[in-house]
Amino acid sequence: MTLGSLLSYRGASTSRTDVVLAIVAFVGFVLVWDLMSRFNIVDPRFLPLPWKVVEALYRMFTEQNFLDDVWISVARVWGAFLLSVVIAVPMGVWMSNYRIVGALSEPIIDFIRYLPVPALVPLLIIWFGIGEGSKIAVLWMGTFFQLVLLIADDAKRVPREFVEIGYTLGARPRQITRDIVIRAMAPSTVDNLRITLGWCWTYLIIAEIVASRSGIGHYIWSMRRFVKTPEVMAGILTVGVIGLVTDQAIRLAHRRLFRYL
Amino acid sequence: MTAAVPQPTPFLSVDRVSKAFPGDEDRPPIEVIDDVSMDLAAGEFAVYLGPSGCGKTTLMRIVGGLETASSGAVYLEGTRVTGPDRKKGMVFQAYSSFPWLTVIENIRFGTRYRRDIGPREKEEVARHYLDLVGLADFAGYYVNRISGGMRQRVAIARTLAAGPDVLLMDEPFGALDAQTREFLQVQLLEISRLEKKTVIFVTHDVEEAVFLADRILMFSARPATVIEDIRVAEHIPGERALESKESEAFFHLRNHVRDLMRAQTRREEEIDIRGRSGA
Repeated sequence: MTLGSLLSYRGASTSRTDVVLAIVAFVGFVLVWDLMSRFNIVDPRFLPLPWKVVEALYRMFTEQNFLDDVWISVARVWGAFLLSVVIAVPMGVWMSNYRIVGALSEPIIDFIRYLPVPALVPLLIIWFGIGEGSKIAVLWMGTFFQLVLLIADDAKRVPREFVEIGYTLGARPRQITRDIVIRAMAPSTVDNLRITLGWCWTYLIIAEIVASRSGIGHYIWSMRRFVKTPEVMAGILTVGVIGLVTDQAIRLAHRRLFRYL
Repeated sequence: MTAAVPQPTPFLSVDRVSKAFPGDEDRPPIEVIDDVSMDLAAGEFAVYLGPSGCGKTTLMRIVGGLETASSGAVYLEGTRVTGPDRKKGMVFQAYSSFPWLTVIENIRFGTRYRRDIGPREKEEVARHYLDLVGLADFAGYYVNRISGGMRQRVAIARTLAAGPDVLLMDEPFGALDAQTREFLQVQLLEISRLEKKTVIFVTHDVEEAVFLADRILMFSARPATVIEDIRVAEHIPGERALESKESEAFFHLRNHVRDLMRAQTRREEEIDIRGRSGA
C-alpha cells in the first residue's frame, strides 16, 4: 500500500492500513488534547489532562461503585430497546404486508416520530412517575417510532420476485413472511437495530439527567455540580466505550450471521 | 348433419384474455392485452415474442395467476386459473434465487411446500434436479458466489423441483452474455425434452425464440394481440441442436420473424412516445 493510492481520488486501501490510520488519528487526538491542557491553552479546570480522566475513572470504579451506575444504564437501554424491537419488528413487517395496516398507522407514527423526545419527558414523568417506568418510556418513545418505519421499509424493499417465487412454489402468505420476507430483510434489519440501539444511549442520558438517582447520566450530571471535570469526562468516555464495543459486537455478529453477503 | 366431434380439453387454454391497467391522475389507463386466445398442448414449448413493453410478460403473469385478467380466463387442464400455485412455476430474470441459501438449499426450497411427496422423496427430487442442471459440484455454494448463468440454472432446478405442470420463464437469460446464453438455451432444450414440460418462454430476442420454440406467438405492439402463430417444426424440420442455427431453414424463419419484430418495435416506440407526451 503506497501513500499515492491513499491520496488518489477514490483510491484503494487495505484493512490493515485503515487500522493503522485509525490508531494514528486516535493518538493524535489525545496528544493534541494533552498539549492544550499541559500548556494552559485551555484552563485545566475545564480541560484536564487525559491522565487525570483515566485516574478519575479508576477512582469511580474502585471507590464510588460506578459499576452499579453502568449496569443500571445498560439494563435500561437494553430493556427499552428490546421492548421496542419485539413490537416494532412484527408491526413493521405487518405494515408492509397489508396495505390497511400501513395506511392506518403510518401517518400517526410519522407524526409522533417528529415530536422531540425531550419535550415529552415532563409528560412521561406525569404518566409514569420518576421510577424506571418513565426512563423506559422515554427510550421507547425515542426508538420505537423510528424503528417501526425502518423495519417497514426493509420489508417493502424485499424484491417482489422473491414473494412471487414463494407463491409459485405453493407457499401461503404466512409461510412467505416466515421463510422468505424475514430472511430477505434480515441483513438490513440487523443494521437498523444496531443504529437504533445507538440512539437509545442519547435518550438514556436525557432521561437520567432529568429524573434519576442512578445511572451514568445521573452520575455525570451530579459531578457537574462540583465542577469535577475529570469525572464528567470519564462518564462520557464510558458511554462512548460501551457504544463502540456494542456496535463492533453487532457488526461481528452481522458478518457471522450473513456470510453469504 | 353429423354431430360435432367432441374436442379434447386443451392442456392450457387462454380464452379471450384482455387486460387494462387503470390510470390515475398522472397516467391514462393503459390497454395492454386485447382479446388474446390460444391453446397449448402438453409438452409444448411456446415462446412469447414481441417488442419490450408490449404486454407479453403480463399475459404470462396472468397464466401464472400472478395477475388477473380484465376479461377472459385461463384454463389449465380444464380448471380455471384463479391465483398462483405450485402448478405454475416461474423463473424470473433477476432475483431468481435466494441469496441466503446455497445452491442445493435453493433447489430444496422448491420442494418445501409439496404435500404429495415425503421428506425422503423431496431430497431425491432436489438431488435429481441439481444433477440435471449440472451443478452438483457447486451444491454448497451460496448463489452470490456463482455466475449469473449458474444462478438461472438454480432457478430452473428449483422451479422444476416443485413439480409444476407449466414452466413460465420471464426473459430468464436476458441479463447473460451471449455465450452463456447460448449454452443455457441448449441446456434448457434438453431439459424440456427430458422432463416433457409445457413451457411459456418470454423474450424479445428473435434468434432465441426461433431456436427454442415449438411455437412462436408473435405479439403486436401494445395492446398486444397475436399477429402470427408460427409452428416452427413446419419451417425447420428435425431435432433442434446448435447446428440448426446454421441451416438455411433457420435463417429464413429468423429473417421472417425479425421483420415482423422490427415493424412491431417501431409501432411500440411510437405508441410509447405518444403515451409520454400525453396525447
